[in-house]
Amino acid sequence: MIPYLAVLRDSFRAAFASRVLWIAFVAIWILLSALAPIGYREEFTTQFRPQDFYNGTRLKAMLAQGLVDPEVADQPIGRIAAAMPEDLAKQLRRVGEGDEVRILLRVLAGALNLCLDEESWFDRDAWKETLQFRELRELEAMSDPLEESLRRRRARLRLEVALPGVFETRAARSIRLTYAGLDFPANFSTDKTQFLILLNQYVLPVIIEWLMGFVLVFLGILVTASMIPEMLQPGSLHLLLSKPVSRSLLLISKFVGGCAFVFLCVSQLVAGLYLIAGLRLDIWNLGLLWCIPVSVFLFSVFYSVSTFAGLVWRSPILSIGVTSIFGSICLVVGIIGGLFDGLVTRPHSLRNIAVVGDVLMGNTLGGGLVWWNDKEGGWTEIFETNPLGADRVIPPVALNSSAVATARVRGGRLNPFGSGAPDLLVLTEDSGWIAEPSLRLPAGTTSLYRVGSEIIALNGGELASASLTDVLELAGAEKQLNGEQEPDDGLSGSGDASGKARTDTTGWLSKLSTMMGGVTEGFQKLLPPQVSLAPPRSLAFAEDGSFLIVFSRGRLMRFDSAGGESENWNLTANELLEGEASQKGLVAISGETLIVARDDSPLVLCDIQTLQQQGSVSFSDSLTALFVLGIPTEPEDEDRFLLGTSDGRIRQVIWSPDTTEFRLSGPIGPTEVECVEVDADKQVVYVAHHIDQIDLLGLADFERLDRRKPQVSSWRLVDRYVISPLRMIIPQTGELGESIEAIISGESAKTVLSGPNAGEVVRYNLIRPITSCSLFIVVMLITSCYYFTTRDF
Amino acid sequence: MSADSVQDGLPATGPVVHVRGLTKRYSGWSLFGKKPIDALRGVDISARGGEVFGLLGPNGAGKTTLIKVLLGVVKPTGGEATLFGQSVGSISARQRVGYLPEALRVDRHHTARSALHYYGRLSGMGVVQIAKRSDELLELVGLRDRDRESVARFSKGMYQRLGLAQALMHDPDLLILDEPTDGLDPVGRNEVRKVIDRLCEQGKTIFLNSHILQEVEMVCTRVAILSRGKIRGTGTVRQLSEGLASEVVNFELMPREGSELTPVIEAIAQELNLESHQLQPSAADENITEFTARLPERHQVDQVVDRLRGSDVSILGLEMKRPTLEELFMQLVNGDDS
Repeated sequence: MIPYLAVLRDSFRAAFASRVLWIAFVAIWILLSALAPIGYREEFTTQFRPQDFYNGTRLKAMLAQGLVDPEVADQPIGRIAAAMPEDLAKQLRRVGEGDEVRILLRVLAGALNLCLDEESWFDRDAWKETLQFRELRELEAMSDPLEESLRRRRARLRLEVALPGVFETRAARSIRLTYAGLDFPANFSTDKTQFLILLNQYVLPVIIEWLMGFVLVFLGILVTASMIPEMLQPGSLHLLLSKPVSRSLLLISKFVGGCAFVFLCVSQLVAGLYLIAGLRLDIWNLGLLWCIPVSVFLFSVFYSVSTFAGLVWRSPILSIGVTSIFGSICLVVGIIGGLFDGLVTRPHSLRNIAVVGDVLMGNTLGGGLVWWNDKEGGWTEIFETNPLGADRVIPPVALNSSAVATARVRGGRLNPFGSGAPDLLVLTEDSGWIAEPSLRLPAGTTSLYRVGSEIIALNGGELASASLTDVLELAGAEKQLNGEQEPDDGLSGSGDASGKARTDTTGWLSKLSTMMGGVTEGFQKLLPPQVSLAPPRSLAFAEDGSFLIVFSRGRLMRFDSAGGESENWNLTANELLEGEASQKGLVAISGETLIVARDDSPLVLCDIQTLQQQGSVSFSDSLTALFVLGIPTEPEDEDRFLLGTSDGRIRQVIWSPDTTEFRLSGPIGPTEVECVEVDADKQVVYVAHHIDQIDLLGLADFERLDRRKPQVSSWRLVDRYVISPLRMIIPQTGELGESIEAIISGESAKTVLSGPNAGEVVRYNLIRPITSCSLFIVVMLITSCYYFTTRDF
Repeated sequence: MSADSVQDGLPATGPVVHVRGLTKRYSGWSLFGKKPIDALRGVDISARGGEVFGLLGPNGAGKTTLIKVLLGVVKPTGGEATLFGQSVGSISARQRVGYLPEALRVDRHHTARSALHYYGRLSGMGVVQIAKRSDELLELVGLRDRDRESVARFSKGMYQRLGLAQALMHDPDLLILDEPTDGLDPVGRNEVRKVIDRLCEQGKTIFLNSHILQEVEMVCTRVAILSRGKIRGTGTVRQLSEGLASEVVNFELMPREGSELTPVIEAIAQELNLESHQLQPSAADENITEFTARLPERHQVDQVVDRLRGSDVSILGLEMKRPTLEELFMQLVNGDDS
């Protein structure tokens, strides 16, 4: 190995002797020096920002009501509305009068921020009836005068409790970025969790992807393209080949040595970023250091092309040219692949499935509603999947063995599920799965549940129930009323313009109530007054529908059905979980056990009666729970849950009452899982995977019973047989950026922050780019070695 | 291999370089399609241990191709070539070879010492061994004082010295030197010749490719003349000269007083059908005339002597003229041309 190590060492010496390297070093040092003064300080979260609003429409409606409804003038919303600036108040009055007025979230945020400075709107008596957060109770208990930051925090919390269902839950303390000790001119305040996500998933990867994936690779190719042609000069090559070395190993040593330039630059940059992130931002992320080998790996893909071109043509200019052409091909294939992902395959991926008798029904990411047609061996569309559309379909819920309920919502400006009150749509097998409108849903409904003989809708902060019989009857009545009219296209439920709405929308108060997400005719409020399900939240109903457990804002609450249809459910247990209130969480019930899966925390298992924690199960830090389902069990059985994780797999969590032990199984079933549904009656688990394939697994042993692989459109055939192989053959260097994101964030998936798919969890594609790039490098090196070994020089 | 094996100037050991029927055909292209080029056409040479073997030939004769084949850089099309009895190109054979290329290229980031370190490591040497050997060789080639200087500032002659040093780094048994004195001043050439002599005394085999015939004549124990891919002659300079010595004969003649020598010579030339001859007064004595003729056969010399004596011409001297290496070279190469 001595000769080859000597070649490697010599490459480093050559790199250090290169002026370009030192220029690159200086550029890197300047960049690091510019970044080094970045720091942060923690402060109480006070300022409102547009992204702090969960439901802007509700806020608008509440403030409008506060201004126009004399009955609430002395209530918190009235007092807050009265404190709004005059311009905004005028607009809000118009909203209250029934006009369509567009108010920007930043205007609302600005107005609320003014309320933080001056608290004349606050009245202790008026706020008595509001739900008091623990933090607010503690602040209220403190004696005045408070420090300014605490006072502003208390004011914010007073506003939040007065306007339930409006705000996203934010951490109590925020990070504010500073530069050389000075606050950033723009307001970047964010909580630490968000800050870490932002930094690890977006800022650092972007810096590294751009600097290393583009600048350094290009620079590296420019500098190293001459290495192989220079080695092939007669006076150099013949001397090298006269030494007792293997030609292949000599070439590989030269190749590895050629990566020295990029290695030296990347090491400096990454080490510098690591130290700055650690020393200045207190983020000691060792994952960042993995960017060094990944970046060198990325460079080696291009350098393998440069090496081969250098061998064949012995010209640095041609090497650079050929490598640039190759880079362009990679880029074009990557763009085409991305377009196919975004327009052809991903929109068809199943988000939820429902079992309706013997029929499988699902909604797709692209706003489609489909059912499995055995005759055609594929999915038949009820609502067409539209890759560019912003419409959403509320996950279908089986009402009985032949009917399913859903709703179609147009993408609203202010929240992902629109601001209008869509009609509940009922589809029956007898009618050929034609959507028939039924009751009008509360505004902003995001989920439907069938619990016993009720259908329950969840919106911004409320749960409302309607009788299943009413829903079905109304859908049937509608059919009769319309007589010979064309079937509904499903688009009617988009807002307040629908003529089919069953609610009285003539009165301004009713209109405001609808905007606020209040109950509509046919639906009844389920939760006690003053209880609002603030996000992040998750619900789990008991199998018999007798109780409901809610995770909301870091708190577990159990509500038991009071029995009568018109009565609210009663809060019977309440438990505050450890950790930030803004941490997302998922809940599910199996037997006597409740599972709580929260981001970046072990799985917590609680008793369903007391909500007291019984134990916890740790799983990989890189995994995030995407969904969790309880498997219905007999009393003597073990309690079992299915946990869907961000690596696209499902795992089973088992609680054995006998041994009082929790177990987490390894991955089961197929890969690239999209969603799962359990049919306890048939003892089958339906697993949607690889976009829209379905595997039927036995509930007891998870052995595969059947697979439903749909026939796909011609575009998807093109994707499967042309684009995908092309993406495997042509190394997907662009996708290596995802690898960097995954490494830095230490996660296997990320959440889309903005755009029509905001909130969607996207798995990092690690295998394809690494496989395709590795294979490409190996093939190129073997070809180059063969050429170098067999050619006369 | 030791100096003891060299006896009477000619080594007695087996062949270090052994080439038999070696052919090399390069595939070339022209407007009219494939046009193969035969660089070597059945070359046979053999260099024994301890000898300095010179390879001569005009440009394009195939010398570089032959050296490339010996180094394993180029694969032969046919024939056989071995070094130390092992196939050329094998790593074990290359371990015993030191090579000085004609135009050595050393990366500009090197100094003389770091370059020697690099090439020493390529030959599998240890660090301590390299340091010791570098000192010796830098002293030997006269680069001791400039060993820390970047090679970017080296003259061609300094490159040649460095090249020679690197070729000797791992103390090889066979040195293949391609134009070793190219770019060197007369002092430098003399030093290189001394190095070669010293190596020869140590029993090293040297395969020398040079255009400088005088140098080859001075240092080589045997030479091979290569032209158009074929060996035109192999042996010591004396052996090659002897093969051609009888051709040119110089007579010092004094005709009988009053008689003319020219008609006699013309008659002899016509009678014996001499291809070329020359008649000129001697520079030493105006009474003596020098007659030079190409007489390839020994009986032709006898016939000329008989005719001269028969014409009553006194033969004062007769010299069989030995050609220089250059003349030999030209004759062999031109002979090939004809």
